[in-house]
Order: sequence, then C-alpha cells, then structure tokens
Amino acid sequence: MFITAASAISPQKSFRNADGFTAVPLTGGNRLLCSEPDYSSLIEPKLIRRMSRIIRMGVATAIDALQQAGVTDPSAIITGTAYGCLEDTGIFLKRMVENKEEMLTPTAFIQSTHNTVGAQIALMLKCNSYNNTYVHRALSFETALLDTMMLLKENGTSQVLVGAADELTDQSFIILERFGLFRKQPAGEGAAFFVAKASPDAAIAEVKGIRTLINPGTQQVEDAVKTLLQTHGLGADDVQLLLSGRTADTAMDQYYNVVEQTIGNEAAVIQFKALCGEYPTSTSFALWLACITMQGKTMPGMTDASHVRYAVIYNADKSGYHSIMLISKC
Amino acid sequence: MSREQLIEDLKRQIVAQLNLQVQPESINADEPLFNEGLGLDSIDALELIVLMQQNYKIRLVNAEDGPKVFQSIGTMADFILENQAEQN
Repeated sequence: MFITAASAISPQKSFRNADGFTAVPLTGGNRLLCSEPDYSSLIEPKLIRRMSRIIRMGVATAIDALQQAGVTDPSAIITGTAYGCLEDTGIFLKRMVENKEEMLTPTAFIQSTHNTVGAQIALMLKCNSYNNTYVHRALSFETALLDTMMLLKENGTSQVLVGAADELTDQSFIILERFGLFRKQPAGEGAAFFVAKASPDAAIAEVKGIRTLINPGTQQVEDAVKTLLQTHGLGADDVQLLLSGRTADTAMDQYYNVVEQTIGNEAAVIQFKALCGEYPTSTSFALWLACITMQGKTMPGMTDASHVRYAVIYNADKSGYHSIMLISKC
Repeated sequence: MSREQLIEDLKRQIVAQLNLQVQPESINADEPLFNEGLGLDSIDALELIVLMQQNYKIRLVNAEDGPKVFQSIGTMADFILENQAEQN
C-alpha cells in the first residue's frame, strides 16, 4: 500500500507544515491539546458551526491530504477512532440528565456517533463510495489500514482516503486520568489522514505490512517483528528508524525493550508519544512522522533522515493491544 | 415582556443554540430563517421547536403551522406572545 499524501493535526505544529516541521518536546503538563489551524479556508461556515473539534480536525486533515494528492473523489473513506465524537456525546448525555430524557435536540445526538468524521467527509465531497469506521481501541487505525490494504488488493486502481482521529474533552480527561492513564505520560489527541493506492507512482512511502497482536508475550512480539521483516526480505539491521510508543510509564517496558533489542541497535529510536501524547490512534501520527522522515525531514535524535530506507512503528497499549508497522521509502 | 424585548432574547438564544457565526444584533427580525435568509435547515427547525418549548413552554402542536411560525424571528415572537396570552 503506497501513501501519496499525508496530513496531521497534533499538539505539534504539524498541519500543512511538513517542510518547516520541527518536533519539540511539549510542556503542556499532563494534557496536550492540538495546535489547530484556522478552519475557515477549509470548511464552509454553515457546516463548521455544527462540527466539534474532532470533526473539524478530521475533516481538515482529510481535505488537506486529498488536495496534496490531487484527488477529489476517493474510491473509499476509511476511518479509525477509539473514543469517537466525545464532545457531542457528553453534550447529549448531559442534556438527557438535565432535561429528564425529554426535549432533546438532534444536533449533538447526530454528531455523537463514531462514524461522524467519515460521514462528514463524504457529505462534503458528495462521495457515495465505500465508507467505514473502525472502533477497535488501540488498533482502530491499524484496522482501518488493514481494510485499506485489502480494498486496494481487490481494486488496484482505486485511491483510498484513510485516517484516524481522537479527541480529548474535559470529561474524558477527568475519567481517563482517574483510571491512572496519564500519571506518567501526558494525554494527547490528534487527527491524521492519508491518501493510499496500490501503485508506487508519486508515492512518498509504502506501508509494507502490519501485524496486530492482543495480549501477547514478549517472545510473540519478537517473533512477529522478525517475521514481518523476513516476509519482506529484510533483517533487523535493515531498519534505520524505530518509532516507538514507549512512554515514561514503565508498565509496557518489557515489550519495548524486546523490540528495541531486536531492531534498535542500528536504528534511531524516536518515542513519538513524547510529541503527541497518549491516545489510542497515536500511531496515525507516528505514520505521518514516518512519511515526512521518508521525505527527508530529520527528527530529534536522528543525525540524518536521508539514509532512512525502512522504518518500524511499534506500539504496545496498556489494554494489551500491540501493533507493528513496516514502512519503506519510495 | 414586550415584542421588541422578546425578539432580542430570541436572537441571542438562536445564535447560541445553533452556534451561528453571526452577531445577534445583525439579524433582522423579518429576515427569513430558512433558505436565503439565515440559511437554516430541517435539523435547525427541530432545534427551534425544542428551544421554544424549553424557554417559553410553548408547544408547536400542528406541524403544518411550522413554515408560518418559523418564517422569521418576528413571526416566532408573535406565535409565542399569542400562545402566552391564551395560556394566561
């Protein structure tokens, strides 16, 4: 699967800033909010008034990716989100309680469903093609990518818009913090969309393969990494960049240690959650980072991006959901 | 409450409820709410029905009265005043 365009809104200044992007560690306490653009040039005022932040971020990155690729009518729109549209869900539930389940207004309910981002993109593009949203916790984005790969295998001529979005609201932050999720790592949020196709022309990167694992042992993770590389004729020394989901929380260190020992000896290691915070679809931001690195953008901790031919993204979520992606330069 | 005061209140409430990107004072009381005026749509119509019920305890019993009642903020104000007078 070849990526021809990539766009991301994140706590970093990433939107429409691939050339000038400078990754800086963030100091927003334990809650990182996205650096959002002025949406007025991207979304009609009549539409934007009903959109919550996640929808705006998702729609803006989708439009930007499509514009970069020169695509006006994608053959599919595939989205991954773990939390969905939390802001509107919160508004709707609050009104249900306050109004004793009577006199509920439609807008927040309509906008609260998980597939709102994908649906809004389709409505704006007047795109009646395949449209699917995957909600699989920390594998939501990976599942969207797997569906994209299968779709491209079925129909090699198509161009697929694929991405992910998750937002942090005041309510979700309080609840998730109570679960102990952000004690040692900042909470994050973001949206990233990509245009993917089956042929390599005009591509910036190729997603060569994805492996997903649920509640694996460390040996299974090591085997999965090695198998993924071997499947594509590669060894551990062929990888120049490891985008690692490791954080200051040591709960998943045993897994990250194994992966870093397996491929990290020669590769530069970037801990991408230090740049975007912790959220279930943060690997979409990592894929955006991989794409701009493949275009020559040097990240902190790297001496030179031009030698990066292969990158691995590895994420071990505390829920037990693990993913490994192999990316190559085009 | 005077008709003028009610119209000013409705302007503020509608802008806030529908998250309109205009200043309340810039809306003309006789300006059409739908299509060429403020450009509201059918989802907004439901929001207006609930707004009227929540804030003024006025129910729109006959759906066919909708186009007449929601023609403008002025017609909404007239409908509210008329029904409040009947309730009293």
